Amino acid sequence: MEGLRRLGWGIRRHRLISLCIVLLSMIVLSGLFAPQLAPNDPNFVDLIHKLEGPSTQFPLGTDQLGRCLFSRLLYGTRISLSLALLIVTSCLAVGLVIGSAAGYIGGKIDSLIMRICDAILAIPSLILAISLIAVWGAGWKQMAIALIIVQSVYYARFIRGMVRNIKQQNYVTAARIAGTSPLRMMTRHIIPNLLPPLFIVVTLEIGWVIMDISALSFIGLGVQSPTPEWGAMINDGKSLLRSHPRLMIVPGLMIFCMVALLNLLGEFLGERKGFTKSIRKMAKEARGS
Amino acid sequence: MVANSPLSRTKDGGVMSLLIVDHVTKTYTSSHWFRAKRKEEEAALSGVSFVVEPGMCMGILGESGAGKSTLGRIVLGLLPPDSGRISFNGVDLYRATRRERKRLRRDLQVVFQDSYSAVNPRMSVLQIIGEPLRNFERLSAQEERRVVAGLLETVGLVTDDMHKHPQQMSGGQLQRVNIARAIALKPKLIVLDEPVSSLDMIVQKQILYHLKELKEKYGLSYLFISHDLLAVNVLSDRVAIMDKGKLELMLKES
Repeated sequence: MEGLRRLGWGIRRHRLISLCIVLLSMIVLSGLFAPQLAPNDPNFVDLIHKLEGPSTQFPLGTDQLGRCLFSRLLYGTRISLSLALLIVTSCLAVGLVIGSAAGYIGGKIDSLIMRICDAILAIPSLILAISLIAVWGAGWKQMAIALIIVQSVYYARFIRGMVRNIKQQNYVTAARIAGTSPLRMMTRHIIPNLLPPLFIVVTLEIGWVIMDISALSFIGLGVQSPTPEWGAMINDGKSLLRSHPRLMIVPGLMIFCMVALLNLLGEFLGERKGFTKSIRKMAKEARGS
Repeated sequence: MVANSPLSRTKDGGVMSLLIVDHVTKTYTSSHWFRAKRKEEEAALSGVSFVVEPGMCMGILGESGAGKSTLGRIVLGLLPPDSGRISFNGVDLYRATRRERKRLRRDLQVVFQDSYSAVNPRMSVLQIIGEPLRNFERLSAQEERRVVAGLLETVGLVTDDMHKHPQQMSGGQLQRVNIARAIALKPKLIVLDEPVSSLDMIVQKQILYHLKELKEKYGLSYLFISHDLLAVNVLSDRVAIMDKGKLELMLKES
């Protein structure tokens, strides 16, 4: 009985996850093929057709400038996803260099790097990103750089912890005794064992970064208005919240789905590998929220 | 170079000892930026001295926490002692130049207690045993494969095992892989840090006899660290008992 119930759980969870993967790949593909799939030009202003409801020509209706909401959504997927990927991979690169250096070398260098990271982490990341953008001016490039700086610290800290953990393993000592050079140690022993948990963190992190991008674009600091981006679209629609809530709800739902799906997938992968708890704890700690 | 070193002369005179551990002391301190260094009450090692001759097995017997593993790490060159000297093959281990140390590395290998944690779970047996070979010798892929196959046979495994991964092997088999890695470079001394403690009795016995065979075949020396009197008895020519960081008693066996 107990066994059966557990089996049922397994399948149900698996179904949920396969659904999650299918939906995610659909979103990614629709973003990838946005130019082919979009029925209309996302930036074409057509005031005659403004604020129309869903129709065959405009599957999700139009906004206050008569632009096709569905097309904007597809192009927005493209921008949000590619920006998030750009930011996460840059963070990964920076974090890998700083974090593994601190973790592998240890001692005074490690303390120094980590104290600098602590100082940056003391300020809530979004506030810090906002103040950096305030200095440099609004725009997607500035936003990307600000987010990379803020997020890299988190990555560095996380990777440093993992590297220290792996470095204590007996097989690293054994490899050292076998005469393996530090560089080879990094590439053959430490980084390969770092990747599986890192992959899971990246899955979770893409969701967070999409949120951050949308939040910054919503308050007008990130992607600027004519370019379709989910956060910017919500911002465009906010004055019409009472009469046409659709303009905010549709891109809002998109953000919600994306983040929820990525989180589900990340948690599932973590659970399968058996380190969800430690990762969640580390992620929470490093995020400081 | 070796002849001029004072460490190469032993008390007995004549033959140079392979390993000389001379009044080694080690205390673990917890130092911190904002805290002064504070010595803990008991030293992990205090004034430990012994010698290991070529082809000899020195057994170190002691309870857990007696400082056995600390001694092993110091002899392996992983942990600098507070005072005292370790001389291996006539060269002071902690004062050697980088090049000398790299050369010494070849002759000084280790087998750990936990066979699973001592191998990278993402590597195949071929990669694990091949690692020291790749670091010191330039072999073609084919040659490496042949050498690894030979080593696997030497430790009592079959050639096909080289494509297995650690998860597919038992603790005893994996410990044999660890031994194969340790003897791959034909070292002079192997530190055996509780090599059979995590295995069951039958496998323990097999591996101990195998180690004994290897020792006679290749003229290896062992530093055998264990808490198991019987295991130490099988292999050792000389046994020292360690307690609270001191070598208490030396037993010589016939």
